Amino acid sequence: MQARRYDTIARRVGYLARSLVPLSLLFLSGCSAHGLSRQFLLFRPAGPLSAADLRFTILDVAVMLGIIIPTAVMTTYFLLRYRKTRASAAYDPHWSHSNLIEIVVWTIPVLTVALLGYESYKGTYAVNPYDPRMIKTAAPGRAPLAVDVITTDWQWLFIYPQQHIAIANKLVIPRGTPVVFRMTSATVVNDFFIPNLSGMIDVMPGMRTKQVLVADKTGQYKGYSANFSGSGFSWMGFRTHVVSRSGFTRWAQAMEKSPRHLDYAQFNVFAKPTTNTDGKTYAFSQVHARLFDQVIKGVLAGKVYTTRLPPPGAA
Amino acid sequence: MVNVQGPWSPLIGRLSLGAIPDNPIIAGAFLFSAVLGVVILGYLTFGHKWGYLWREWLTTVDHKKIGVMYILIGLVMLFRGFIDAVMMRTQQVLADGPHSPGFLGAAHGYLLPYHFDQIYSAHGTIMILFAATPILVGLMNIIVPLQIGARDMAFPYLNALGLWLTAVGAALIMLSLFLGDFSHAGWVGLTPLTEMAYSPGVGVDYWIWAIQIASVGTTLGAANLIATIIKMRAPGMTWSRLPIFTWTSLSTNIIALTSFPVLGVALGLLGADRYFGTHFFTAGLGGNLMLYADLFWIWGHPEVYFVILPAFGMMSEIIPTFAEKPLFGYATMVAASFAIAGVSWSVWLHHFFTMGAGPSVNTFFSIATMIVGIPTGVKVFNWAFTVYHGRSRFETPMLWAVGALFMLLLGGLTGMMLAMPPINYSVHNSVFVVAHFHTMLMVVIYGIMGAVAYWFPKVFGFKLDEPLGKRFFWFFTAGTIMVFIPMYTSGFMGMTRRLDYIANPALLPFEIAEEIGIGLYVVSVYYFVRQLFVSVRDRASHRVGADAWGSARTLEWLTPSPVPFYNYAVTPRVHARDELVWRREQGLEAATAAHYEDILMPKNTPVPLVIGAFAMTLGFGLVWRIWWLTDASFLGIILTVIARSFVRDTDYVVRAGEVRKIEQGLRGNTPGTGGDGTQGGVGVWRPQESGS
Ligand code: HEM
Ligand SMILES: [Cu+2]
Ligand SMILES: [Cu+2]
Repeated sequence: MQARRYDTIARRVGYLARSLVPLSLLFLSGCSAHGLSRQFLLFRPAGPLSAADLRFTILDVAVMLGIIIPTAVMTTYFLLRYRKTRASAAYDPHWSHSNLIEIVVWTIPVLTVALLGYESYKGTYAVNPYDPRMIKTAAPGRAPLAVDVITTDWQWLFIYPQQHIAIANKLVIPRGTPVVFRMTSATVVNDFFIPNLSGMIDVMPGMRTKQVLVADKTGQYKGYSANFSGSGFSWMGFRTHVVSRSGFTRWAQAMEKSPRHLDYAQFNVFAKPTTNTDGKTYAFSQVHARLFDQVIKGVLAGKVYTTRLPPPGAA
Repeated sequence: MVNVQGPWSPLIGRLSLGAIPDNPIIAGAFLFSAVLGVVILGYLTFGHKWGYLWREWLTTVDHKKIGVMYILIGLVMLFRGFIDAVMMRTQQVLADGPHSPGFLGAAHGYLLPYHFDQIYSAHGTIMILFAATPILVGLMNIIVPLQIGARDMAFPYLNALGLWLTAVGAALIMLSLFLGDFSHAGWVGLTPLTEMAYSPGVGVDYWIWAIQIASVGTTLGAANLIATIIKMRAPGMTWSRLPIFTWTSLSTNIIALTSFPVLGVALGLLGADRYFGTHFFTAGLGGNLMLYADLFWIWGHPEVYFVILPAFGMMSEIIPTFAEKPLFGYATMVAASFAIAGVSWSVWLHHFFTMGAGPSVNTFFSIATMIVGIPTGVKVFNWAFTVYHGRSRFETPMLWAVGALFMLLLGGLTGMMLAMPPINYSVHNSVFVVAHFHTMLMVVIYGIMGAVAYWFPKVFGFKLDEPLGKRFFWFFTAGTIMVFIPMYTSGFMGMTRRLDYIANPALLPFEIAEEIGIGLYVVSVYYFVRQLFVSVRDRASHRVGADAWGSARTLEWLTPSPVPFYNYAVTPRVHARDELVWRREQGLEAATAAHYEDILMPKNTPVPLVIGAFAMTLGFGLVWRIWWLTDASFLGIILTVIARSFVRDTDYVVRAGEVRKIEQGLRGNTPGTGGDGTQGGVGVWRPQESGS
């Protein structure tokens, strides 16, 4: 009950903040307010996961500003009022203790942390990437789409095991359908991040992490690796296309005709260190059903995709 | 032993001519360093300064001089880290969007990715471990013994050893610029990127050994400071009268003593992977790379509190002095410092909420992290109530302290955001986090700058120039705002960290704002250097007496400025928490001792310097895998330590009559009384015959 009230307040404050922040930043750039505000990817959630992230951001900031602004004002006021050059102000050279103030200054942060701690507990469970309950509430009754994600040095491979297709450096998902990602890396740690759709989750070699998301709106969204993974890292972006469900079916059927196939041996060729400077994408059909597991197994058995020493002087 | 890529020979290990980079930027840096080196060597040789340098600095065990050298190392490294920052900002503003220009062989901007990655890794490592840490250790070294009325540290010889080991770490990092390369895997050393398979060069090895050697020094220093505070307090200096800076030094060194060994283990195991081919942190063959993240941050989080607690202490000394009022809530401040130190041990996982731990684990660490915010918030309130009913003067140290307070508010806000996993998921590994911890590290830098301005006259006998100091402060603050506010903003636009090329051209306005901010920082550095220059030039007119600020409160302001090498002619008896205020109120401020006694002081020794030299060759040998050199250096260290253990004659006596002569000279040297026009500076009063 109480919690729901907070959420409504938070949403209102959030609405205000969303319209104010880009405005206040106008002076920093020549862009129009509208064009710039669209660039604040975290303020424009396109799915329940990122919407929840934003809601908690607004709540946290609102609560914290509730203490920080008065504190800043009070400190400034004290500094100016009790300055040496203002001789008329009261001066008490020995006052350094007050039980009442001490109680108050401990109580305020304790209560704040109690409130935010409770919210954090709720939030952590709400966006837990392993919790399938989210699927049921966000898109009830829809069969989830499985996508296996493999990162290499420095590309993304998205495998659709049910469709036996795969695409590199581009992700296509249907709107309103829960998408369940299983993620692993062939080399070092990356971080799966689509600001409008999902927060970051590490992609680790020899291990499998998960993320679940539902996209509410069709469109194109930027995706990144957020965790530094070597010299090609800055180019390791991927574009996410959210399409209608029928559009997705059509796309998947077209993909099945791709001439390139993918099994473990072909994957090892694909996984050679490559900096994707010009945003190339590759389509694969007839993808080996257990490729994801094979990659994990390979890494666990010691497979590495070695980096060569940089040429002398490249330092 | 692991097989390495590239050539190796028993005589010179992995060294080869190819190890010298042929990049024009590095060549420029080399030229600059070489010219500077030649000038300094020339000055030492032709000015006949080698003897002075050897007697007064290289072999000294005086805690004040050791502190000054720590701070000098820190400032040099701060400058190097700042140059790195300018280079990174310039790269990012140039390499924005697919149509951005490229220079010097880079596709975008002017730095190749591999070079940019080394710069940011060096920047982080240097700023935290070789700039902030040495400057703070140096300040604690100088001030803590003075605040508790001690003659020196508990272990003066160990103190010098800590200094030289830190210097070796810094020297190794600087060397990596001109010989080989540096790590590209961040100051945190991301595994398995730091493993041989993905970092086959010597860069990661430089990073490992620079930190390993320096952190031995820091650990020894921490043990020393703890022992000093516990055992060396003057009579009457009870725990409840201990100055607050000494309290925070105690809590921070407890953190250091207990956390640095964890870092040693983490890097040791990583070293085992790289040198012996073990699999502690590799992805396969039984390794567990997540274990490294745990070990690193079990040190790393306490380390960030290790750097901020002394800054809190400095603010707690400066604000009462310039508000002319005692610190509000002394007992709470002490409790808060130890609460922070204690809780800082149980929050490390907040650095990798995204690694996929279950929600109950993440919730636990989230709430633990927020709990750190409680004592931090209390501190801010207490500072505010310290100025309440005070008489604040805004001299430079006070400006820095107040600036630090406001930085802390902003950093606290963003820290509490990051502590919540649902928020953290959206900004972890983004530039928002970079802005958060720079805001917090600004608290440290502001505290340091305030403390340097505040205690400078105590150590050197004259104040830093006020108008230039204020200009330094305002330009620095303008730079901070212009760099970090746009950086927070870019974080909300989804900009990730550690990018040598920015794919999203919409970020360009923010990059430009940050570049302007860096320009303001450059101006502020100019004023800082100019301030030092002018203050030294005009030192005669900047002279101060024992209490440089006229409203200082603690014991260290009792003894003359600059402090004589024995600190206090007669060990003071302490009567109150703010001893100087108590004496002022009793009219005892200017009282001098009726009679003097002999003083026992530690003798100079070259042993720490020798051990440092062996540590340098040891580190060099390890980096380049020159095994005969490492063996010889290690043996050298062992033999030196054994030889030193036979030396019994480590102290000397300063006769009472001599102390009286020095004191009379010093007391005559206050402003307005003429004095004898001495040059100032620590140790000017050391009698000639007492050398090593
Ligand atoms: C109220 C107190 C604080 C809270 C709640 C807090 C919270 C956090 C959190 C949750 C992170 C992890 C962010 C991420 O990587 O996703 C973080 C990162 C960091 N914080 Fe703080 N922090 C606080 C104070 C400080 C202080 C005092 C310092 C140092 C002076 C500091 C320095 C750092 C650094 C260096 C990092 C990131 C290092 C890296 O990833 O390279 N923080 N902080
Ligand atoms: Cu894992
Ligand atoms: Cu932390």
